[in-house]
Amino acid sequence: MRLTKLAVVAFILNSLLATSVFAQEESASARQIIDKFQTDLITVMKDGKKLGYSGRYDKLEPAVINSHDLPKIARIVVGKEWEKLNDEQQKKLTDVFSKLSIASYAHNFKEFGGETFTIDSEEETKMGGVVIHSHLDLPDDKPVKFDYMLKEKGSSWRIINIIANGVSDLALKRSEYTAILQREGFDTLIAKINEKIDNYAKQ
Amino acid sequence: MTKKTLATLICSILFVANAQAKSHDPYESFNRKMYDFNDSVDTYVASPLANSYKFITPQLVQTGVFNFFNNLKGVNVVLNDVLQAKFSQSAADLGRFTLNSTAGLGGFIDVAKHIGLEQSDEDFDQTLAVWGVPQGSYLVLPFVGPNTVRGMPATAFDAAANPASYASAITYYISAPVQVMSALNARANAEGSLKFINEAALDKYVFTRESFLQWRKSLENDGKVSSTIDDDLMLTEEKSVSGLNLRLNDYKQFEIAAKSFGSVAQKFDLTAQNFEQATRKIEHLKHR
Repeated sequence: MRLTKLAVVAFILNSLLATSVFAQEESASARQIIDKFQTDLITVMKDGKKLGYSGRYDKLEPAVINSHDLPKIARIVVGKEWEKLNDEQQKKLTDVFSKLSIASYAHNFKEFGGETFTIDSEEETKMGGVVIHSHLDLPDDKPVKFDYMLKEKGSSWRIINIIANGVSDLALKRSEYTAILQREGFDTLIAKINEKIDNYAKQ
Repeated sequence: MTKKTLATLICSILFVANAQAKSHDPYESFNRKMYDFNDSVDTYVASPLANSYKFITPQLVQTGVFNFFNNLKGVNVVLNDVLQAKFSQSAADLGRFTLNSTAGLGGFIDVAKHIGLEQSDEDFDQTLAVWGVPQGSYLVLPFVGPNTVRGMPATAFDAAANPASYASAITYYISAPVQVMSALNARANAEGSLKFINEAALDKYVFTRESFLQWRKSLENDGKVSSTIDDDLMLTEEKSVSGLNLRLNDYKQFEIAAKSFGSVAQKFDLTAQNFEQATRKIEHLKHR
């Protein structure tokens, strides 16, 4: 009987311990997502020349998909215009937007010159998000600040926005995308995104 | 003159800027034309000249020229540090300017950077922001590029405070090459950013406008990113994002400006008192 009680206490203690460890992991996981993504980027940069554009794209595709919430970002960048798109258009936009995101990483992070990422701090936002403050040290230039905004998705965290040296990628893209949608329409927006993907692949 | 006149001047700038601040880009039609004009000038004149400059000028000289003009900008930085009541930062920037002007051979070598003394990024536009003057509408100026209603007088103030503007006081033969060199060097340094815009932007005008306005906002906050920025973005999905900067009404803006100016003036008073005390102490020592 005593043994059973002890077992129950041990079980409860164990559960509590597990819960607190889980809570710690949860709060640390946003940081882990960024840490893993930045490590992946540096790894691809180091092999950048050897891999070529398509090699970098293939390596970065899972890294970007597993760290970014691309469908959500695609929805936010068109703002209220999202509701006006039909299912097929929404799917098309999410698809080309995802390709553009991976392509721009593959194009812009193509070689390694001694750059290093450092995570400086993290903070929670009022709406339950997490901001990871980090910076990229460049060998011959001022460091670039990278602030990542993450939201919880299922049991993990995903990047929603990146603010580089104070410029929000999400806000910038939303201004551009909504302006094009309103002035020139959906087909032009898709054509312009595809043109950018092609240009990245050519260079 | 003094505080009262200065306060009136600031308030008049504030009202002019605020009257224009209904939307962040009400002059889009004009601005787009100016943007296209500048783009053409850049493609056919500035870019080829800057490329020639880069081609014929050794990297060492290019860096030296950049350092020289950047060091002269140090005068503006120190002045604006003081106007924003950032007194310890102004001391560091003054030290940086003095070191580079002497040991750095007139500013051609950035000695201060090598000892870890980075230059702060301050200008009169940020000073006006600290004083509570709203940013006002976005404006694209011919040959000059992106600016705002608040940024225009601020740019003029900074130019007036920069020693490089007074090269003509020495002689015309020095002045012209100095100004050309400064412009070519600035364009050559912007090459990377312009290439990035060309590659990344779906609409170059909107991309330039948004990144310019956000970059200026970030400088106002000394590079600090608010943890609410993206929550705001999610909440206001139905609204224009750039409108975020311009939401406050006239009364609130006026109140903030008055308060900011009051606190800056208070800091000035304290500094003046410290100087007064120091002077008295020196006088006292003299008479001993």
